[in-house]
Amino acid sequence: MSELEFLEVGCRVRGRTLLDSVTLRVGRGEFVALVGANGAGKSTLLRCALGTMKTDRGEIRVNRRSIATFSARERAAALSWLPQHVGVVEGATAQEVVAAARFRFAESFTASLRAASAALEEVKAESLSGLPHPRLSGGERQRVAIASLIAQETQFALLDEPANHLDPRQQIEVYEWISRLRGRGVGVLCVTHDVNLLAAVEGEVRVAGLCAGRVEFESGFKDAALRELLSRAYGTELHEISDGAGSRMFVAARLHRDRGTST
Amino acid sequence: MSTRAFRIVVVVAFSIAITLVAPFLGGPLSGDQGEFIFWRLRVPRVLVGAMMGATLSIVGAVFQVLFSNPLAEASTVGTAAGATMGTLVALVLGVSGGALPVVVVFAFAGAFLVSLLIAAIASIRHNSQSDVLLAGIAISLAATAISMGLQYSADMQALFTATQWSLGHIAQVNYRGVLLLLPLVAASCGVCLALSRSLYSFSVGEDLARSYGVNVARLRAVALGFGSLGVAACVAWCGPIAFVGLVVPHLIRLLVGASVRVVLPLSCVGGAGYLVLCDLVGRTLLPTRELPVGMITSAVGAPALVLLLLRRRAPEA
Repeated sequence: MSELEFLEVGCRVRGRTLLDSVTLRVGRGEFVALVGANGAGKSTLLRCALGTMKTDRGEIRVNRRSIATFSARERAAALSWLPQHVGVVEGATAQEVVAAARFRFAESFTASLRAASAALEEVKAESLSGLPHPRLSGGERQRVAIASLIAQETQFALLDEPANHLDPRQQIEVYEWISRLRGRGVGVLCVTHDVNLLAAVEGEVRVAGLCAGRVEFESGFKDAALRELLSRAYGTELHEISDGAGSRMFVAARLHRDRGTST
Repeated sequence: MSTRAFRIVVVVAFSIAITLVAPFLGGPLSGDQGEFIFWRLRVPRVLVGAMMGATLSIVGAVFQVLFSNPLAEASTVGTAAGATMGTLVALVLGVSGGALPVVVVFAFAGAFLVSLLIAAIASIRHNSQSDVLLAGIAISLAATAISMGLQYSADMQALFTATQWSLGHIAQVNYRGVLLLLPLVAASCGVCLALSRSLYSFSVGEDLARSYGVNVARLRAVALGFGSLGVAACVAWCGPIAFVGLVVPHLIRLLVGASVRVVLPLSCVGGAGYLVLCDLVGRTLLPTRELPVGMITSAVGAPALVLLLLRRRAPEA
């Protein structure tokens, strides 16, 4: 079975330890949510896999091969990435922005555009196809970004706070679209604060808690122990609200305190 | 979509038409002298103008993507000033009599050095767009200071050559020059066009492009290297001709939209026509004497730059 593996990965920048020793496995078609407090190293872990940050110990492997030995194109066939902040692309249409994700394929530009259209259709965004990217709303841009992930046709997708700055309905929609990615056999590693939104993901979800540069726990989203594990990882007592039908929510105990949603 | 295709055709047709017609315009052509003026002076001049316009424009378009800054071009990021400095070193020191191939090497060294410096600065602080331009101004001023120092210490003969050259003039050309320039600008334009797919993916953002499989370090090195080569060849040949790489890609973007895939090749074609037109204006505007083409492009480009700056500030405020 093909896997994305982080084996005792460490990362230090200017003497500061961002990742101590992270071991985590994501299989094809799996959904792993990486949660943790601000500065726990969640985004850093994704960046290490992408090669934009250097690891100084351990190994990141895709299908048992070290990612460090991948060429830029091979890496782009293995991993796609949804950044936390998706910039606005001046003067390009949504379709053209998605087509840019097809770089790794040796194909004509027309073929790239066609694949981009198909990807946009998959997230029900075909109507956005010809619109200028700067004119899209935040939610629409995020939908286009997910279409880019689909268009890149990778084995694994790395998502960094995909529901950031979106309204509640769009937040849930984003997780539904991501589920679609998983339906295509893509292994998803999703960095997020908002554990509650994971209820919108279809199928099994594994939650991995990152704390001080280490994976402190791994648990199924439906496991009873999750509340306690999350409370410990975030360093604040969380309450659980359950509707009795399998849906659950976690709320910070000290409600007078605002809960941040950004990393 | 069809209006866009139509506009693309118009740009191409304009460039071809102006290039074909330009040699016939100007003073009357009659007899042996007319033939000499036509074949020996005007045709090579138009050819050089077209090659330079194409190169400066496409390099401008490439730099705008590479620095993610719509105002980047050879003269605003300092590449042209670097080439000028290199050229003056060759001219003032009189290296092998100021032969063009040697001058080009010096100009390229200066241009590439500055480009690398700017790229280094841009990569350290790529959060602010204006940093690249400010660094470009600083480096341009430094290069200009060195150039002035060189001129100050030069003898009269070298000073005269240097001054004449620095006005930006395509007048004194011949076919040998055309043949010398051709491989350099062809290499520069060719590589820039070949990079258009990478640059297209790069235009969505540097880190994203990397995740799409673009080898960003290589892209940057190749684009800066061959961009500098094209600019250096043009500057060494005809002096600093500013703002072509700014005005042309902007016009193209206004006409056909900003997709890198279209802007690069069309800037190349349109730029050829644009510089031929500018030179034609410089050649025919005054009845008694010619104006250097660098003056014309600056007269158009400087106000255009100010306009673009004002327009960019507006939505941010």
